Amino acid sequence: MQIIENLKVKEKLYIEKLENGLTVMIIPKKGIQKKYVIWGTNYGSNDSKFVVPGEKEPTEVPKGVAHFLEHKMFEQESGVNSLDTLTALGVDANAYTTNDHTAYLFECTDNFYPALDELMDYVQHPYFTDENVEKEKGIIGQEIMMYDDYPDWKVYLNALEAMYHEHPVKLDITGTIETISHIDKDILYKCYNTFYNPSNMAMVVCGDFEPEELLKEIKNRLIDKKANGEIKRIYPEEKEEIVKEKIEQNMDVSQPLFAIGIKDKIADTNERVKKHIAFEILLNMILGKSSKLYQELYNEGILFVTPGLDYEFARGYAHILITGQSPKPYEVYDKFKKTVEKMKNEPIDSEEFNRIKKRIYGQYVKEYNDTADIARMFLADFFKEINSFDYLEEITTVNEEYLQQILKEVFDDKKMIISVIKKG
Amino acid sequence: MQYKEKELKKGIKLHLIQTEKFKTNLIAVFLTLPITRETVTKNALLSAVLRRGSKNMPTLIQISQELEEMYGASFDNGLDKTGDNHVLKFYLESINDKFLPQNDENMLKTSIEKLLEIVFNPLIENGGFKEEYIKQEKENIKRIIEGKPDNKARYAFDRCIEEMYKDKPYGLYKYGYIEDLEKIDAKSLFEHYKEVISKAKINIFISGDINEDTIKLVEENENIQKLADRNADYYIHEMETKEKVQEHEVIEEMDVTQGKIVIGLDLNLENEEQRYDALVYNAILGGTASSKMFQEVREKASLAYTAGSSYIRYKSNIFIKCGIEIKNYEKTVKIIKKQLEDMKNGVFSDEDIENAKNSIISTIRSIDDEQDTEITYFFGQELTNHKISLEDYMKKIENVTKEDIVKIGNLLTMNTIYFLKNHEATKEVQPCK
Repeated sequence: MQIIENLKVKEKLYIEKLENGLTVMIIPKKGIQKKYVIWGTNYGSNDSKFVVPGEKEPTEVPKGVAHFLEHKMFEQESGVNSLDTLTALGVDANAYTTNDHTAYLFECTDNFYPALDELMDYVQHPYFTDENVEKEKGIIGQEIMMYDDYPDWKVYLNALEAMYHEHPVKLDITGTIETISHIDKDILYKCYNTFYNPSNMAMVVCGDFEPEELLKEIKNRLIDKKANGEIKRIYPEEKEEIVKEKIEQNMDVSQPLFAIGIKDKIADTNERVKKHIAFEILLNMILGKSSKLYQELYNEGILFVTPGLDYEFARGYAHILITGQSPKPYEVYDKFKKTVEKMKNEPIDSEEFNRIKKRIYGQYVKEYNDTADIARMFLADFFKEINSFDYLEEITTVNEEYLQQILKEVFDDKKMIISVIKKG
Repeated sequence: MQYKEKELKKGIKLHLIQTEKFKTNLIAVFLTLPITRETVTKNALLSAVLRRGSKNMPTLIQISQELEEMYGASFDNGLDKTGDNHVLKFYLESINDKFLPQNDENMLKTSIEKLLEIVFNPLIENGGFKEEYIKQEKENIKRIIEGKPDNKARYAFDRCIEEMYKDKPYGLYKYGYIEDLEKIDAKSLFEHYKEVISKAKINIFISGDINEDTIKLVEENENIQKLADRNADYYIHEMETKEKVQEHEVIEEMDVTQGKIVIGLDLNLENEEQRYDALVYNAILGGTASSKMFQEVREKASLAYTAGSSYIRYKSNIFIKCGIEIKNYEKTVKIIKKQLEDMKNGVFSDEDIENAKNSIISTIRSIDDEQDTEITYFFGQELTNHKISLEDYMKKIENVTKEDIVKIGNLLTMNTIYFLKNHEATKEVQPCK
């Protein structure tokens, strides 16, 4: 296995791409009881139009298939649900679907190998019937309704709606009750066979392991499958412009919720980490806990908790999102815009810049405390073609000039939107 | 991991958790007092005001900047209702010196000083807290109280507890009451602070790569030296005897898409050892993905996405919670009642018991993999006056038998069924008996 060591956090990554195309990553953690394994496929809710390797015509499936598949993978031909088998082993098993990947995982202290047997068995053996697919529609329907009552999820989806014309990132990961009604077992098998090929997957393990030995155990549990060719994913053409600047919805909330978005262009693969770090620093300088703007809004009772400051990106999209709660969301928006304009015309405050940089560095180091955080981070970054260690190294290359440059490039008035959920 | 405790003064205890597993050191100060209607709102406001500024770091901006300079050390505070106690919690997490780019700092020392400064050396002006902070934080607490219904699942759970503990300490809302907020001013809150600081049980936890000198660091800290011995006034939860109550049903309406059921059950234990049996009982009933609630309500009947139960040992209650389609209320309650009956009659397998035990033991085994979890574990021992090592804890779980679990089922009684539904569905839902 190839070894990549990071001296800052004193951790090592063992990585190998197997013959069938599967990438295995192991981060050993001496003395930790908890073991965490996560097996993911580079396939999320955004991937609903694609060309199956070997076929010529594109396939289009209803929204929500990736998430539906995630739910259905646990069901086995024997009638046993793998989640039960794993729970019976005393391990904490779960799965999740995002816009760009789907992952199956468990965390345990004992029974790691018997649980690995089960995990690798069920992910490699789908079993879908008309009956079990129908039954799942009830459970997922409840899940969709549960999210309907989450104002923070709504304010987020509405923000995406205001930014994106066509890109499927704006759609709910679960699909809707209408779209999932069209899902059947043939669609599930087709998507499974396309995206659950080892060449489209990666496994990350974190815990107290001897890496070479663990790799052997993983290989022993793989069924014979050849790497398939490249999957062509088709995303609609997305304009650079936003859809509309303002979007509002009424819900039963005590205080309005807001999400301020800035639509960004897709960065080059080799610039994305640097850009991500620069945004984290910039956003903290503008509206972080120690910023002048936050203090001002806090003292006026307009903000009372530091807003969420995020940069999100995957295939075909990238945006900044600032989320929070405020009695006067539009005032937050106006003052944010004014602060940005002012900053563009002044040199970056060095003292502030260095202080925030220290803070961000400390945050990156803290990510290496917990086996679950580490494994999830490496998997999510891998599907974005990023090695997570890069954040610890690239941060030193981010300087004031670069910050000023992306501030001018990205923080464009015409690319900004605000989504508000009001009391109604 | 090595654990050590030292009573610094009467009623003030230092807990040291020596571990090299983490990149961080975590320091925590917990102030524990009985929760009362009189003090609950004052405590909530106090917790918020202390965070705003201390004598040597008088503004929020100053605190934030100093923490950022410490490689993003993070300060956090919170309020907990733990049994009949109100706990004011203050945390500071910072990077261990080993992982700093320059190795000339003593981050642990600075962190301890900063946290103790925020809690024990507040900013005082004219014999009271700063007026401006009081005014702003009153607004913030008001918002939190008003925002209570925003999280529907949490709201339904809190409402069920309020119904079960009407006019009792455990029925109080941990952030207090708007009508009480208005009566507090800068001076009266400072008077209250002095009470808290002289009467509360104080627990200080330090987890990380620490050594013998760490004790000295705390002992010699001037903010600690100022504190006096106390006969700490707080509630120790040993055994709780339950009065018999008539089962009752509460149905409320709000603008929701999904209905929320919360069922509160009273558990009348015969002895303390039965706490372990209750843990296993709860795991089988609704604690894991192979539990009866998850299997019967979610998987087989396809009625819910969330379905589970939790055991509150401090108050000897089990709460069943699920989110369902509103029209399925009666059907769901019927299935839940059937599960409780089955538990009473021993309708569960040896395998179910094994699964439940494995899941609990795995949780116990990983307690020391997370710093805050470990601190919470040791704090729990303080509140129950019941010390047990992780090994013994696991043994107790292993020794639980089927008879023990069935017994728990027979000691449980239904107290309250709470249902949160929407306005439109009024006609469809019949109260269920």
